[in-house]
Order: sequence, then C-alpha cells, then structure tokens
Amino acid sequence: MKPAEFTYYRPESVGEALHGLATLPDPKPLAGGQSLLTLMNLRLARPATLLDIGRFTELARVFDDTEALVLGALVRHRTCETDPLVAARAPLLHAAAGHIGHLGIRNQGTIGGSLAHADPAAELPLAAVTLGATVHVESATRGKRALSAEELFVSFYANSLEPDELITWITVPAIRPGQGWGFVEYARQHGDYALAGAGVLLSLDARGRIAGLRIGLLNAADRPLLFDEREGTAPVLGELPEPRLWEGLGWRLAALSEPSHPDTEYVKALCASAISEAAEAATERAGENT
Amino acid sequence: MARVEDGTLLAGQGRFAADAAEGAHQVVFVRSTEPHADILGIDTAAARAMPGVLGVYTAADLGLDGARLPVLTTPNPAFAEATGFQMAEQRIPLLATERVHYVGQPIVVLIATDRYRAEDAAEAVTVSYRGRAPVTDAATALEAEPLYDHLADNEIARIGYSFGDPENAFGRAHRVVSGEYRIGRHGAVPLETRGAVARPDRRLRRVDLTTSTQIPHLVRNAVRTVTGWAEHEIVVHVPDVGGGFGTKANVYAEEIVLAVLARQTGFDLAWIEDRQEHLLSAAQGRDQVHRTRLAVDGQGRILAWGDEFLVDVGAGSLWVAGIVANTAVHALGPYRIPAVRMSGRAVLTTKTIVAQYRGAGRPEAAFALERTLDAAAAELGIGTARIREINLLTDTDLPYPRPIPYRDGEPIVYDGWDYRACLTKVRDLLPETERERLRAEHPGALLGYGLGCYLEATARGPYETARLRVLDDGAVELATGAAAAGQGHATVFGRVAATALGIPEDRVRYRPTDTERLPDGIGTFASRSAVVAGSAVHNGAMRLLDRARALAQEVLGGPVEYAGGVFRRGEAEIGLGGIAAHTRGDPTALDVTETYRPRTVTWTMGVHAAIVAVDRRSGMLSVLRYAVAHEGGNELDPEIVRGQILGGVAQGIGGSLFEEYGYAPSGQPLSTTFAAYHLPLSTDVPNVAVAHLHVDTPDNPIGARGAGESGTIAAYPAIAAAVDDALGGRIHCAATPLDPGLIHGALRKAAVLA
Repeated sequence: MKPAEFTYYRPESVGEALHGLATLPDPKPLAGGQSLLTLMNLRLARPATLLDIGRFTELARVFDDTEALVLGALVRHRTCETDPLVAARAPLLHAAAGHIGHLGIRNQGTIGGSLAHADPAAELPLAAVTLGATVHVESATRGKRALSAEELFVSFYANSLEPDELITWITVPAIRPGQGWGFVEYARQHGDYALAGAGVLLSLDARGRIAGLRIGLLNAADRPLLFDEREGTAPVLGELPEPRLWEGLGWRLAALSEPSHPDTEYVKALCASAISEAAEAATERAGENT
Repeated sequence: MARVEDGTLLAGQGRFAADAAEGAHQVVFVRSTEPHADILGIDTAAARAMPGVLGVYTAADLGLDGARLPVLTTPNPAFAEATGFQMAEQRIPLLATERVHYVGQPIVVLIATDRYRAEDAAEAVTVSYRGRAPVTDAATALEAEPLYDHLADNEIARIGYSFGDPENAFGRAHRVVSGEYRIGRHGAVPLETRGAVARPDRRLRRVDLTTSTQIPHLVRNAVRTVTGWAEHEIVVHVPDVGGGFGTKANVYAEEIVLAVLARQTGFDLAWIEDRQEHLLSAAQGRDQVHRTRLAVDGQGRILAWGDEFLVDVGAGSLWVAGIVANTAVHALGPYRIPAVRMSGRAVLTTKTIVAQYRGAGRPEAAFALERTLDAAAAELGIGTARIREINLLTDTDLPYPRPIPYRDGEPIVYDGWDYRACLTKVRDLLPETERERLRAEHPGALLGYGLGCYLEATARGPYETARLRVLDDGAVELATGAAAAGQGHATVFGRVAATALGIPEDRVRYRPTDTERLPDGIGTFASRSAVVAGSAVHNGAMRLLDRARALAQEVLGGPVEYAGGVFRRGEAEIGLGGIAAHTRGDPTALDVTETYRPRTVTWTMGVHAAIVAVDRRSGMLSVLRYAVAHEGGNELDPEIVRGQILGGVAQGIGGSLFEEYGYAPSGQPLSTTFAAYHLPLSTDVPNVAVAHLHVDTPDNPIGARGAGESGTIAAYPAIAAAVDDALGGRIHCAATPLDPGLIHGALRKAAVLA
C-alpha cells in the first residue's frame, strides 16, 4: 500500500497552483488527502504530480454574505461541523458534516476536496445539491467560472471540471425564514458510509403550505440525486406538510433511485424512510423558523 | 492495577516486528490475482532491472520447487478411531509454481532497498495465467472437479460418530425441529499485521527470525522440515505482538521463505505485511454451515441431537484436523443429551487459507446447537431460558462423561460444578426486565433479549515448557514456550513464579520467547497458556526452590528455613543470589527447564445474555447490554481474565453484526480494505458485566482453567436470539453476520400484516 512514484509540488499561492495545474504533467491537487491519498496508496490513483494546496489559509475561511454563506475550498469538515456561523446559516451542511467518517478524517478533509472527489455516497456533495450551492472554479488559461453543484457531479468519482481547473470557493444559500431542513442517514456503524441518506430543504408559505422543496439522496445513483420543484417535488407544492404526504413522497422518489447495493429493495426502502424522516424534521423546523 | 507490560506498551516503547527491521532490506511478495488458474509463465526480468531492486525469486530460484507447508496438527489415533476422523494430504506450496488456488497466494518474492521500490517492482512482475473455474462455496466444492491433482475430490477431512440410538429417539420424539445455520467467513484482524525480520549469520551458519507469531517453536520446526537445517541453524524470536487470536497461531509460507531467502542472499530482510495484504492473505476463519435436528419431549427435554456440518477451509488449512474435531466435540454442548449423531466434512474452495480463529469451531458449534434449542423452545411455546434450565447439566449430573474420547484420546468428562448456576447468575446480572426498562430510552427501536450457552475444553496438551534461572542479584529470569501476543504473560507468569518462590513480583524478569533460550515448546492458542504454561512455571519454580534449598543446606551446614528468597539457619543466611554466586562454576545449578503435561483438558462453561435494539426504520442493530457468567478456575489475575472475556465479546459482536470476508461469484475477494471489512468499533460494544463462578480444578497445580475463548463462543447465538425476540418471533436468525436487509424485510412484512 505505497503509492506509485509521483512528483510533489507545493505552490506558494493560488496563482502558482493554477499555473502548475495548467503546465505540470498529469497534476492532481492535494487538499486534505483523505480520499486521494488512500486511492494513491491502493494505486487506484496514480497522478504524476501532486500539487499540495493544503496550506492556503486564504481558502480556509468562511464568510457571511447577505443571503449566502461563502466557504473556501479548504474549509475542513470539522469547521463545518463546529463553526457557529455555518450552524446558523447553513444548518444542513453543519449537520451533514458531523456524519463524515471519524474525527481525524474531519480534521483533515476539505469541502472542496470532497466536492471534487464526487463520491455519490458522501455527505457534502449531497448537502451541496440539496442546498443549491454554487461552486466557483478558476483556471490559469480559462479564468473564473461558476457552476451549480448539480452541474459539478457527472458520475461515480467523476466531476465536470477541466483538468486545469481548481475549486476555490463554494457559496451556499443561507437559510431563510419559513425554511426548514432535515438530514438523516442510515449507516451500520458510526463513521461508516451510509447505506442511504436524505437531505431535505423545505419552504413553507404564510399559510403553512409547501412553497418549495428540495430533496437530495446519497448513495442512490452514480451522483448525489436531487429532486426539486422542476423534477420530482412539484406535485406536493401547495400541500400541507403531513407525515402521510412525506411517506408517500418518500416511496415515490425512492422508486426513482438506482442504488448500487445488491439488496436494492432494502436500500430503496431506506431511501423512502430517510426522506420521510428528514422531511418530518424539516417540517418541524420550518414551523419554528418564522 | 496495570500489567507489568503496560508501562512500556502504553508509552509507545514496545518493540514489534517492524521495530526490529532497522537496517534490513524490504521484502514484498507478488501474489496471485486469480482465484484459480494454471500458471503459464512468470517473467521477472523487468522487475530485476528496476532501481533499488536487489533480487527477484521464484520457488525454483530458492530451491523451494515442490516445497510445501507442513500441517500443524494430526489427530490422536484413539480419537480418530472413535470418531471416524479421516484426513487427506494437503499440498499447499510455499510459493506457487504451477497452479494458484486463491487470490493473495504468494508466487514470487522480491527484495528492494525500500518498500516503495519493492511495490513498484512487484507490479512489474508478469504472471501469465490460464483461468480455471473458481469455487467459492463448500456445497459446490463437493461436486466440483478436484482443486488439487493429488486428490480425488475436494473433501479433505471428515468425522462422524453417534451414540445412544439417535434414530430411534428421532422417530419417537414429541417434536423434532430442524434448521440450517451458517457462520460467515471472518477472522482475527489483529491491530498489528503479520511481519517478520530475518538476519543471517554466515559464520554461525544460522538465521535469526523475529516473527509476529503465537507459535515460535512450530515456525522453527516448519523451517527445519522444509530446509533440513539443524536446530541451531534457525532461531525464532518473538517480539512484542499486537494481537494474534489464532491468525498468528499459524505457520506461514512468508516466514519460511524469508528465512531461506536471508540465508541464500546474506541480506538482513524484513517483510512487514500491510493491511490490504493482511485482509487478502492472512489466514481466515469460521465459514461453516450446519444442518441440525433436535428431538425433544413434551417438556422440552433433549432426546437426541443431530448435526451435519460443512467447513469451508479455502485453499487449505494446516489446522483442519483441529477445526473439524473442535466443532464435532463442542457441538455436544453443556446439556444432558442421551443420543447424538454427528458428522462433519471439511472442504477445499478457492478462497484464502484458514487457521484457528478465537473459538476455532466452538462458536460455529454453539451457534448450531443454541439456535436449534431456541427453535425448539419456540415450537413448544416455552421460554428460551426455560429450555436451557431443563437441559443444562447440574451438580447432580457433574462430573459428566461422554461416550467418546477428547482430541487427546482421553475419555471426555466434563469437570464442572453446576452449569445451571451460570444461567441463573447471568440472568441476575442482566434480567429480562431490563429490556422493558430500556424501551422508554429507545422509542425508535424494538428490543430483544437473547441467551447463549457454551462449553469449552481448555488447556490442551500435549505439554508446555518454562525455564527459570536465578540471576546474580537473586532475581529470577523466566521464559515460557507459550509466546505472548498481548495477553499479559509477563504479569501472569511472573506472578505464578513469584508466588511459588515467595519473592516479590518485581523480582521476576519475563523474557520474550525464543527457541534458543527455550528449545522446546508449543505455543499460545486454544485457551491453554495460563493453565499449561502457568503450571510449567509453577512446577519449575518449585523445582528451582528444591535445588536452591539443597544448595543452601550445603552452604549453611544443615536444615534451613526459607522465606522471601532467603534461606536461614540460625543467624546465618544466604539468598537466591548468594547461592547463584556460590554455584558460579555450574550454571545449570539454578537453571531449570520444566515441561508440564496435562492429563487431559479441563472444561469451562458459561452463559451469555444480550439485549439488542433493532431500529424500526432501518433494521440496523445495536447491542445495548451484555453479560457473561462463566464457570472458571483460579483467576491468576482477575482483571486479565475479565479482559479476555471483554475482548472476546467484542470479537463475537463483530462477527455477529459486521465482519465478513466476502467473495464475488468470480472468486475475487471483496473485503480487502477496512471500507469493506467492518470491525466492531468502541461505539458498537457496550459494557459487559462479568461474573466468574469459581470452580478451581484439582487437575493442575495452580487450579486454573482456560478463559481465552469464553467471551467469543456464545456471542453469536445470544445476539441472534435477541433479534428473534425483538421481532416477536417473526424472524429466526440463522446466519451471521446478521443481515439488516433481511431483518428490515421481516419488519416490513409484519407492518403490512398488522
């Protein structure tokens, strides 16, 4: 379990890193290394150049913007889990982060790294699509662009970035009055990957009816699966958020999932449970958040 | 109280195999990527030319073509005669040359200046294969073409015995329940992987092999069998060992090849296994299926018991005789059973080799018998505690003979006191009412209570050794043939020696086992060390004291009194150190090597109780409460006995809930990282209440019985029974690891019906 030969390069600035990504042979950015280094040790990843961006403190910051929370790509999972600002403005992200692996992993792992790794079983990609996050990327040759989290995820461990692009910032819409959230996952052991999990972001109107609904599922397809008003959740708009409704919706959406686990019937049932449990929690929180 | 070992180990100052590797070149094995294939060719040229590579070797390059691993246990003739035990010859090569039988099987060994370069070179070795059909299931293996050319089929061991006219009892019984029970393939997975360091000495013509093993003498013997070297040419040393649990009570091809390679090249060599390699190629365990029948009368009394089992030993097992015999003997259980029909077979497949894993057949046997008993209780509508109460042996039954011999050929006589007392005690420690109390704390879960009983033969022979030597300051140096793998031998054996000699415990120096200091010994496994090595230490100490007394009388000129390491005659006195100085010209005077041979095994029994929560939404399980009451002997160190139970329960929970070496239909192993092989975590293991019911045995001089496997054996049935109970009998868990998908299915079915 030793990696194949590679060149280690530690740029001093984001500019240098972007330049390196554009010019060095087969480069791979190294942030917290919690997925990449394991894959390299198993020789499943064999980049020729490791470009260590892990010490760019400027990208480890969290800002509060008017209607959004802005996170640097190097914000650690542990920061998402413990920072009161994240907890107040993006509570679903905060809750999801606490479910990632073990403490040592959360101390090292970064949000940008997790999104770029594009593991459909991971918590932060799920949180990003559920919350409708925007991913900001930069390249030395192409400049800057922004894409939605949904656009980022292509398939298992595959993202839509160009090889010379680096994720720099992530903006997450801040929770608004009338909104409630829920995050539920079923894992057999503490810190293990979940068999199924759901994130729910619910908006209620003044009459307490469903005005908006985004539901994400993890480990249910080749990428984090999103159901929103355009696709999947429109039928319940205008309805009263009741347990029966959630149960029915959970089963309907779970039927659309394509879990890779061999016991698909079981995992789909778990997806349905996770959706209704998370939606019930979201309903309660939306009621309290006026 | 801390153990003698703990100060060093907890400060990170232990010396493990990898710590002995300084200055040595790194060795890596090229392993089969195929579950079953002919080897068409091996091309090592590219690897040889790589930077930092010092050599690349096939079996032929080392003169090991045709060399095989010697089996580690053969059955006692009287036992084999009485139980119809038969065993076929196994031919597991050291390095495969013509055919591979499992993914992970070593084929080529190479040396490089560091592990990175060694792994690069290993990638550059090309092995060409012609694939053959994989066999991943024991039942299929019985019908499949033989996996080895010298065999007519894939059955490599069988056993079969009966007594008490079982067929008549099955015919006349009030009820006969039957079932099929499976314990999945899993294993020890110690914190420290395997590893060895070999240092050749050309002038002495010897190789010093430091290896992370429980059985240094058997490793040495295997090296000698393969190479023909004299005893002084191979010395095996045991460093600190970070857990063994049976997987290191095995002799490995890697250890033998390392010694041969060191002598051939003259290099100091280290092979430190990595985790992926461990999960791929270290010996695995369990993997049994039992078909059972139990005949009971209207009250639930057992009339006859039948068990037909199949053991999947993968590509082979040096311990197959032990595993099959253990299973067949322990399936008799701690009950009054008048009639038995037992038969078992061990079968080859194309999975990783198998060794003993904590329990070694006993957990599988207990799972089959206990689960069948629970099925009978359900059938009769009596409680699971009740059916055990009715059938457990009590003080009026014990000692209880069985009409077959034990594995050592001696008649089986359970030497316990009152097995029903363990059931009563465990229900005091963890009453069923606790389940009701916990319900309020766990509204999202269904809670169940389960029981499991076990019986265990401990302290098997044939013998174990100890050496005690008085040092010049009167301290006593001690070594045992039973090597330590983290069990606390320095603490326990130091105490046995100190007690026998009447000296403070800190006057005993425990030396790690090596085959030069102590040329003969067996090893640490089968819940044997405390009793067998402990008795050797005790007897050795008494003999040392006798010698010292005779010498003291010589020096002091007449009868002497002895206390605290000092002999007195009137005003005159001489200590152990003084006698050592006095006999300086004769270094054997106060140097004793003792061999202890137990008459036969001593039996322990116990009952486990568990409360398990089943999550209503996910079917996932958590063990909330656990208790063990067991009948054991004199506790040489109560905390260490308790630690053995706790660790055993943790491993039992792991095997019951999570751990499994999975194989794809293609024969490829699926559990080669910790992302796929799930060990129990601290969050999965509750506190365990333990009650030790003292039944000291007169059979050995220290009154001890074994306890090493007691914590594991009955965990599987107790946890499975608790899940049955949680679901109100809507499921009968018959396979481990317990499948939350299956449990969830039963929950959903119940919800639909309700």
